[in-house]
Amino acid sequence: MNGERFHRLEEVVSDPLFAEIDTGLRQGRHVNRHETEQYGFLRDAQAHLEGFYRQYDCELRHAGDGFFYLVANGDRLRRRRLTIAEMLVGQALTLMYLDPQTVRSGGVIASAQVVQRLEALMGRDRLVAELLPQRKRRDERVAHDTVREEIAKALRALAGLGFVHAADARRVRLRPALLRFAEPIRGLEDRREALSRLIAEGVVERDDADETHESVEEEA
Amino acid sequence: MAVDSARLVASLHHSGAKLELKTIDLCFLAALHGRENDEGLTSIGDEEVVEVFAQVCELVEPDPDNVRRRATNAIQRLRDQKLLARIDGAGLVRAGDYHLTALATGIVEYFLADEHDVLTRESLGLLTGEVIANLAKIERSAREAASPQQWDECVALPLRITIRDLVTGIDRRQRGLERQQEALQARISDLLEMDWFASVRRCEALLEETASTLAELKTVLLERTHQMQGLLQDIEQRAQDGAQPEAAQAARDVASQLDRLGAWGSARQQAWSEYYQYVHGYLRDVVRLDPERALSERLRGQLATWVEDRFFLLVPDTEPMRVLREVDAHVERPPVVRPRRDRETPLERVSSDADGADLEALVRGSLARSPDTLACVLRETLPALDEERRYLAIGEIAALVAEHTTGQPSEERAWVTVPGGFEIEDWRLRTEDAR
Repeated sequence: MNGERFHRLEEVVSDPLFAEIDTGLRQGRHVNRHETEQYGFLRDAQAHLEGFYRQYDCELRHAGDGFFYLVANGDRLRRRRLTIAEMLVGQALTLMYLDPQTVRSGGVIASAQVVQRLEALMGRDRLVAELLPQRKRRDERVAHDTVREEIAKALRALAGLGFVHAADARRVRLRPALLRFAEPIRGLEDRREALSRLIAEGVVERDDADETHESVEEEA
Repeated sequence: MAVDSARLVASLHHSGAKLELKTIDLCFLAALHGRENDEGLTSIGDEEVVEVFAQVCELVEPDPDNVRRRATNAIQRLRDQKLLARIDGAGLVRAGDYHLTALATGIVEYFLADEHDVLTRESLGLLTGEVIANLAKIERSAREAASPQQWDECVALPLRITIRDLVTGIDRRQRGLERQQEALQARISDLLEMDWFASVRRCEALLEETASTLAELKTVLLERTHQMQGLLQDIEQRAQDGAQPEAAQAARDVASQLDRLGAWGSARQQAWSEYYQYVHGYLRDVVRLDPERALSERLRGQLATWVEDRFFLLVPDTEPMRVLREVDAHVERPPVVRPRRDRETPLERVSSDADGADLEALVRGSLARSPDTLACVLRETLPALDEERRYLAIGEIAALVAEHTTGQPSEERAWVTVPGGFEIEDWRLRTEDAR
């Protein structure tokens, strides 16, 4: 297929889809198989683009679950780690993605369900403490509203990264890229070993790592 | 809202119409409908109605003591809501004969349709075939129709009744198919929940079966809809040529109903395609790769301990490329305002002796002749001025006289008429003071 559609990198770069896909990948976007045109383009151009992104110290990855994403290894491309809210919401969404009951709706869930799921898994107080660490004394209702806002914000960010697709204002469609949140526990190896490997690959960062990672890279 | 709908809403609100049916009432209606159909009855006698109610009670609410009273109440409830009609007209004279109204029949048939009326390739083929045959017949009638009555009887009415009913039948079955699909989605979900890996093949089979059914239906709908639309266009064209607006409108109405059917086929196919892809992806990426269903459990554990042992995904975060704006000479566009205008009209100096007379010279000349009174001065000077100017000039002359002479004080100053018909309060003058 590669040989048929693109013979040279120049052809890939000249394709009308390239600019949009390249910009998206560089901003952390995951291209899922449901985005037929973009996904097809990446599959056809994969061999050329892997070499292309290597020049930026990046790796174009094609997950077996059906999505493409870019991993930035060096300093040539700025990177960021997901926020606490994004990580919590991402893991809750992944649990929902794995749940057979979500299959009934074709992977579409209401945003409110995410809040409920997180509260059920973590407990309301712990969730508030994690998402609103600066607040000492909290009015319960205000705190709950703020938590919901934080979760909605995280959902929007995850939609921007291609982990979910905003079906409408209140519902999102889950995408296979969510399985990235389960990467440390998917294989047969121990979770700690898996995490160490992922850290070495530049895919994941531990909490005890340089907290100012982002700002340092920004300065660089 | 259409005018008819608005009128209906207003009328329903005004009359306070409402439907309140308990489960037992619905069961009762269904049983009566079954009795009418099974035995080909046009009406059901009072005793039989009570008997049917008793049978329903045995099934759903056994309470043998009050059956008769409850039956009477149930019959009254149904009659009040126009679901059961008494058709013998005998009033209280004797026990009545009852018949289910169109409303009751509609309700029961809705539930029956829920059970049985599902669009299949066979039912769609049969119904669309029937529509096409009828449309062809109507088209022939339209070709031969010579009078408005023929247009009405052979074209407009069959379009409004026969064709619309047939198309509504397809529409109803489409909804039945939608309900069936919803049930299927729930079934796939439950199968996965119960059997996980063992259910993969059954889920795939169910998906394939529905996908092929939908594809078949879409093909039939596309082909037949095209054929039906062609016939309707012919009928509409002939109606327009024959100046029959009602028949043309009826053809257009059916055509738009058919459009909706076609759109339904495409929309269902699209929705199913998304669902199909999602479930296949799920079976492949989640179920097949995790036959023991351990991943969910591990993820739950990861999330529970994540707060103590945090890790974060890293993603590239390049700023979007800045696209510089093209240089453009900045043109200051003046705001849209009214042209400035001095709304104060400038004062204009107007001379009372605009006719050229030198008022001061006239006054001086008069004073030189030593007049006794102001009135004398005025009598001499005013005739030299235009009549229009005289009123204003009197003041100026008085001022000039006061400037050049001294008035004699007097206790009583007489009112004297001067030229122009004006009256002034006269002064006596000391003529020796005149300069």
